[in-house]
Amino acid sequence: MGEEGTGGTVHLLCLAASSGVPLFCRSSRGGAPARQQLPFSVIGSLNGVHMFGQNLEVQLSSARTEDTTVVWKSFHDSITLIVLSSEEGTSELRLERLLQMVFGAMVLLVGLEELTNIRNVERLKKELRASYCLIDSFLGEPELIGDLTQCVDCVIPPEGSLLQEALSGFAEAAGTAFVSLVVSGRVVAATESWWRLGLPEAVLLPWLVGSLPPQAARDYPVYLPHGSPTVPHRLLTLTLLPGLELCLLCGPHPPLSQLDPQLLERWWQPLLDPLRACLTLGPRALPDGFALHADILGLLLLNLERKRCLFTVQALGDKEPAPEQRRRLLRNFYSLVTTTYFPPGRWPARCPAHGATLESQVAQEPGPPEKVEDAGHGAQLPRACYLVLGPGMGWQVVALQLGPRQLLLLLSPQSPTHGLRALATHTLHALTPFL
Amino acid sequence: MASPALCDSPGSPDELSGDPSLQEDEDCNSDDRVSDSGSYTSASSDYDDLEPEWLDSVQKNGELFYLELSEDEEESRLPEIPPTVNHVRFSENEIIIEEDDYKERKKYEPKLKRFTKILKSKRLLPKRYNKKNSNDNGPVSILKHQSNQKTGVIVQQQYKDVTVYVNPKKLTVTKAKEQLKLLEVLVGIIHQTKWSWRRTGKQGNGERLVVHGLLPGGSAMKSGQILIGDVLVAVNDVDVTSENIERVLSCIPGPMQVKLTFENAYAVKKEKTQPRKKKANLNTNDLVKLLWEEEAEDNQQNIHNTPHIIMYLTLQLDSETSKEEQEILYHYPMSEASQKLKSVRGIFLTLCDMLENVTGTQVTSSSLFLNGKQIHVAYLKETEKLLLIGLPAEEVPLPQLRNMIKDIAQTLKFMYGSLDSAFCQVENVPRLDHFFNLFFQRALQPAKLHSSASPSVQQYDAASAVLLDNLPGVRWLPLPQEIKMELDTALSDLEAADFAELSEDYYDMRRLYTILGSSLFYRGYLICSHLPKDDLIEIALYCRYYGLLPLAAKQRIGQLIIWREVFPHHHLQPSSASNTEVFQEPEGRYFLLIVGLRHYMLCVLLEAGGCASKAVGNPGPDCIYVDQIRTTLHQLEGTDSRINERLASSPSPCLSCADWFLAGPREKTDGLATSPILSRLQGTTKATASPMCRRTLFGDYSLKTRKPSPSQSSGGPDNGCEGGEGTGLSPHPTPDAVLKQRESQGFDGSEESGALLKGTKKKSTLSNPFHLGNSKKDLSEKELEIYNTMKLTSGPENTLFHYVALETVQGIFITPTHEEVAQLGGSVHSQLIKNFHQCCLSIRALFQKALIEEKKKALNGTDDLDSTNSVSSLNPVKEHGVLFECSLENWTDQKKTPPVMAYWVVGRLFLHPKPQELYVCFHDSVTEIAIEMAFKLFFGLTL
Repeated sequence: MGEEGTGGTVHLLCLAASSGVPLFCRSSRGGAPARQQLPFSVIGSLNGVHMFGQNLEVQLSSARTEDTTVVWKSFHDSITLIVLSSEEGTSELRLERLLQMVFGAMVLLVGLEELTNIRNVERLKKELRASYCLIDSFLGEPELIGDLTQCVDCVIPPEGSLLQEALSGFAEAAGTAFVSLVVSGRVVAATESWWRLGLPEAVLLPWLVGSLPPQAARDYPVYLPHGSPTVPHRLLTLTLLPGLELCLLCGPHPPLSQLDPQLLERWWQPLLDPLRACLTLGPRALPDGFALHADILGLLLLNLERKRCLFTVQALGDKEPAPEQRRRLLRNFYSLVTTTYFPPGRWPARCPAHGATLESQVAQEPGPPEKVEDAGHGAQLPRACYLVLGPGMGWQVVALQLGPRQLLLLLSPQSPTHGLRALATHTLHALTPFL
Repeated sequence: MASPALCDSPGSPDELSGDPSLQEDEDCNSDDRVSDSGSYTSASSDYDDLEPEWLDSVQKNGELFYLELSEDEEESRLPEIPPTVNHVRFSENEIIIEEDDYKERKKYEPKLKRFTKILKSKRLLPKRYNKKNSNDNGPVSILKHQSNQKTGVIVQQQYKDVTVYVNPKKLTVTKAKEQLKLLEVLVGIIHQTKWSWRRTGKQGNGERLVVHGLLPGGSAMKSGQILIGDVLVAVNDVDVTSENIERVLSCIPGPMQVKLTFENAYAVKKEKTQPRKKKANLNTNDLVKLLWEEEAEDNQQNIHNTPHIIMYLTLQLDSETSKEEQEILYHYPMSEASQKLKSVRGIFLTLCDMLENVTGTQVTSSSLFLNGKQIHVAYLKETEKLLLIGLPAEEVPLPQLRNMIKDIAQTLKFMYGSLDSAFCQVENVPRLDHFFNLFFQRALQPAKLHSSASPSVQQYDAASAVLLDNLPGVRWLPLPQEIKMELDTALSDLEAADFAELSEDYYDMRRLYTILGSSLFYRGYLICSHLPKDDLIEIALYCRYYGLLPLAAKQRIGQLIIWREVFPHHHLQPSSASNTEVFQEPEGRYFLLIVGLRHYMLCVLLEAGGCASKAVGNPGPDCIYVDQIRTTLHQLEGTDSRINERLASSPSPCLSCADWFLAGPREKTDGLATSPILSRLQGTTKATASPMCRRTLFGDYSLKTRKPSPSQSSGGPDNGCEGGEGTGLSPHPTPDAVLKQRESQGFDGSEESGALLKGTKKKSTLSNPFHLGNSKKDLSEKELEIYNTMKLTSGPENTLFHYVALETVQGIFITPTHEEVAQLGGSVHSQLIKNFHQCCLSIRALFQKALIEEKKKALNGTDDLDSTNSVSSLNPVKEHGVLFECSLENWTDQKKTPPVMAYWVVGRLFLHPKPQELYVCFHDSVTEIAIEMAFKLFFGLTL
């Protein structure tokens, strides 16, 4: 199935664990949603082996063929997610996190109650349809990387403090603490409370906003998979400029109608220029004035403590490889580095104050910790690593960990290998004030 | 019992004579005895009708595994053997050996040996006859302990009654491979007919029922009174033998107490055997114990509780014969922890079949969680059969496991021809059990592999096993040309098979075997090989899995002879084209003969058929060939001292110890004082007089290069001082300052030290080909030259910590020797080495992907695919480096932050002209130019 074409195929299966009824199947091929589906017998056996193991207290977690990886994960003993991917360079880490995200998305839109307590399978199927759009955006080739890094994709606005002030003022006026400014799925600015949202909703909410069709304003009921999986909240979005949306998370108040144009105008009219500047920011993520080294083709900066990341491949847009390829290279490199050298957990996220009491384990199933191939490094810890690709390509990637920050760079072949670390250190220092 | 009797070395035959205890030992082979004049050499044995001591051990199928420890080894092991009954648990199969038993037997073996040396120069192929004789006696399984063959000892029999509870209702075991099923299932006594082929005349028909093992949890074991070696003579007062036991037991109607009467055959003998000292010959079973020493029991227990499994399953189900568990062709072990894995085999079978259908590629591995423990299972599918190996992820990372299963399959194919013939033949089962027992011990507890070795060596072995065990190569020791020539000549002489009047030519007969090639190991290092790469690797794998290499390294083998038919893939693969120009492999059979003597081990691959005569049946080892090989080894005896020297101070790149870069001033002084190199340094150079330890360190490098040339010691002090002066360029009063400075310099600065280091690097890599090309003796001029170049360019510090170079053309890899690593010592360093190997494993996993990709590309012919295909994945990786940081663990000084040292582990893959891999570990301060240089020079370094 994955023999031809680029990127291979990803199949995502969702089944009700108790009955084995498939709730939905999503497929993508080469990054685009595909209609082609696995035969039912295959779905049945994939679920069957997992169930069989579970009955004998053996949890099957993954399987690999020469070009395909399959990962199983069951949530709350009621939903089983299976992903089968023949994408090139796919890793278990990516698939495991994908499943966590998918389940998070399901909870976000349907609520945990519905999923753990399936009374009517047909109704659940229908309700889950609402989440297809979001789920498909994970399966494709997203421009964002939050699904993989479990960090919020951010951009650095040129006049951040102004925006931040306006946001706080607006939040106070609107009567909710959770406000953020989102441009094409990336957070430009957000209130303190918004940043304290737990995972996975912190990643999912901007992602959801980015994946919905453009609308002037929305009032969208959402469950917060970590913070409030059973009680829905309202997500209000207001389009300030095409592509630039203001998101509010609130309870029953205020009604959407209360956020009248006057309120918006009062707070945002004066900031029209900085907001316009944000629009162009989208994929570049960094302000125009910031000069990156000419050899840098792609950049991923993570702050593991604050759970934010900066991901761009637009630094030098015209050279080989194409942006999609750069993205894939960096994604794969991130998976490799996280699996092998910088295992997660060394910088545990501070527990978000908001959801501290609600340790509902939606995202973190009681299951085993993420696979770390080698935990035995002991006192001698990896700090950096680089990789030079073979003849014909010659691209280089380098990763550097410094405190809570990780920087991954994709570099052009002409960059000298021995300078990789210097370049990475320099870039990291330059970027430190931003994130 | 005199210890010299054990020394089988022909060099000391005089000691062998006149042993007073000689007479009392009767043996079945006494016919062959000839009085001993004490002056033979194995090279030219003058005695007709003498049997070699190993002849008895030749199995029915011609295989031989004969191991004798050397005298020293025997002695050192002596205290470990308690004089009382000693049960050696061998495996989950409950083969439990009573030590007394074979100690007794061993006792006279060495003496026997001196009589039984065949090799008559006049009679050709005498061994054929002799072998037949032994075959007439019945097959001797060397895998199984022959427990019941003491004929010359008077035994007072004692009887004991044991009452056990028996419940025939819980008949669950299904495997029909054992004949005496009921005995095993009901009572929990394992008796294997094969083992006791020598029948005592007591029972007319039917063998005596010797207890060979006890089933865990069985009634017999619970009773605690039944010992291995006991003979079951009656059940409820009904006399039983192997003939009628099944019938008797099947008459038990329901759960009840049964009285078993045992003949306690050893009670008396034990007393007699207490003063016994030695055993010379070792069963293969004891190999396990030999390698793992007295910890074996603990280990076994630990391993027992670790889930691990090997299974060979068939995907074709024959519905006609609906046997239980019929899809399992073989599995090991039987422990409870592994039972779980066995019970979920349905998962593996389904995955294997389904995923192949869905994805079009074969399943390689899967992971599952068992009691919160992650287990990786590797798959290997071949012709509707599935080989599975499951091991905990904690112990064996997935890339290693994948390599392991490939190696296992290759080794089994080498030994048995195909996986099918290995697993599907009942008589192989105990052999495979033994094989996998060794395998799992090695996989799960590499650290305990040889506890007799010094801790540092042990650590090094354990740490490196993760990578080195699965490299497609053999650990090679580069030797100076002179020695190499000597070895080459010796091997060539052997391979010519010109045995003068011993040869078949002399008698106008067709050769029995053609010697295809041979390879010589010394202390587990390959020092000379005349074998094609594929054969060499397969033979090395065989040796590795049987633990022969560490054995030769640590224990001085008195004598080792292994003979078996093998199936080298390289020779047996069907010729691809019907091109007549291409050399066609003859349709022959192949035999592997390994002869070990002390630290030497010579592996010879023989071909029967082709130009030699065809092999008929299962020929055993040919004495002439064995003796010729042994002669060759004797010839080389004089060389060991020189090889040892080379082992201790290999010409390959000098290494540095990580601790030196970290230690605080005080500790450093201590560490240096205790370091053997540096204490020597103190003796020769003035530099040590200075309190600046750093300086002594620097001096160390130059000293080390000089070490093989003591004649130069007059120049020593000078060199040392100059080394010290090198540091003077950037004066630092304390090592701490050095460290700080280095840190502040970062890695982009420090051109000065960079240049120096580059020199170091260059020098060290250069020295190797130089040493290879020149005998050590005419060192003066050239070495001086090298020294000069070193002085010009080299830095004060050597910053190379470790390296592994894999060269696939020859199938060898080079890495620092145990001695070198042991000299360095240091806790940080040993951690570094462990780290290095684990990191290399993950680097290598990437390289392997790249190699597969490369192969695919080569198959497709063109490489137009890659433009679209591989851009997105990190696939053809050329180089991969990881930077590690470490600091001292027990840093007491609160005020200062502990010193931090950073080092790189870099692997590079060369695809052209032939795949080569090089992994190095060096200090952060090394400049890239130096590394580049090292990689380039690596090409000149090998062979």
